[in-house]
Amino acid sequence: MLKIWLNKKAITPVLSTVLLTVITVAGMSIAITATYVITGNLKETMGERFIVEDVWFRTGVISLYLRNTGKTALDVAAIYVDHESQSIASLHLEPLNHDWLNLTYDWSPDTVYHINIATSRGNQVADHYTSP
Amino acid sequence: MPTTTHHRSLRQNRRGLSNIIVVVLSLVILVVIVSNVILWSYQMNQLDWDKTQETVTMNSVSRLTRSSWFTVQSEFGINAGSRTSGSYIDTQTMNDTYERFRESWFPYRLDIDGTFSIDVSNSPLAYIQSLEILLRYRVSDTSERWYIEAYNWTSRIYSSNGFNSTGGHAPSVGWNTYSVNLTDEWQSYLSSDGRMFIKIHDQGVDGTRTTMDIDFLAVRFTTDGAIFTFQNKGSRTVHFVSLWINNSTHHRRYDVDEFVNSGEAFSYQRLDVSLPNGSFNIRAITERGNTAVYTGA
Repeated sequence: MLKIWLNKKAITPVLSTVLLTVITVAGMSIAITATYVITGNLKETMGERFIVEDVWFRTGVISLYLRNTGKTALDVAAIYVDHESQSIASLHLEPLNHDWLNLTYDWSPDTVYHINIATSRGNQVADHYTSP
Repeated sequence: MPTTTHHRSLRQNRRGLSNIIVVVLSLVILVVIVSNVILWSYQMNQLDWDKTQETVTMNSVSRLTRSSWFTVQSEFGINAGSRTSGSYIDTQTMNDTYERFRESWFPYRLDIDGTFSIDVSNSPLAYIQSLEILLRYRVSDTSERWYIEAYNWTSRIYSSNGFNSTGGHAPSVGWNTYSVNLTDEWQSYLSSDGRMFIKIHDQGVDGTRTTMDIDFLAVRFTTDGAIFTFQNKGSRTVHFVSLWINNSTHHRRYDVDEFVNSGEAFSYQRLDVSLPNGSFNIRAITERGNTAVYTGA
């Protein structure tokens, strides 16, 4: 111990080692956090599944009944009818949950509509539906 | 010693500790990536694969207007007369195997009653429209009439008040079938737990000591439900979660919670589902997201 205290240059290697360690830990912490966040988002995106149980064409309204069949909660972000975005109320579905989503739309009888439902994570379910 | 040399070299290397930290934390990153992406991807692939392996069909849909028969579950009580052969088991199926009763010694009377239970746990009272009682019997003397009554839980007496037939039944030689409908008075004769007491008695005192053979005595309810027959043709057990009854004007959804094993057919009865008139479309949805469709009229 006495030798270390008497050595004027001893403090430099200790400091440099500590600094290098701190920098390494900080860098790796950032890397781990980033990895965790990125892969977590990827995991949720991969775990998203939903189906359209029913499509009901009512006067001035198209009602869609959605069921979350995936492993993560989802939010419906947008609906496109014949590739045109429609305004909708927000819909949040936990896994195994299901609910109506009403879409105000002036549809025509006996017409085929392409309806595309997109979630906030970018997953989509699209199909053609014929009005009565 | 090479190992000692290596350790000394590591201690002298200022970057040695940093290298160890980087390696260890890189392993942590690797574990995060593997668990979050690769294993999860494997699970979701399994989910999609299971969905593709699911094959379900809806083979038939029909209206359910009457339940199966509910028979007596214990021996009949005898208020007048006696039992000479057979048991209540013989009255549970219509097969010419009977339980025999005989009128009491003078005055010649026969009066028996039995307890019947309708399964209200599976058939809630709200979906029952009426009750029917069926008696298949034969008698040694066809000159007197025979009556069916039921215990009225309101007036607390046996009665046939409100029955569609209150005048009794005049038997002929051989097996006779006597059925009564309790019309809209049925609720007075059925307790909240589904019990019903049914009595059979003769017309009154006469000059012949009659023997009565009961082949079948049972009660059933009339309703307006539906029966669906599903078949699981896939290799996975199917869990049905939704049932849709759609026609041109209405789309109605019902919750379902039924499992069907692989390769099995399953008959599913719903008293609360009333099939619409005209053409309709029925869809059963599975938990994995597949659909069985039936179109009827």
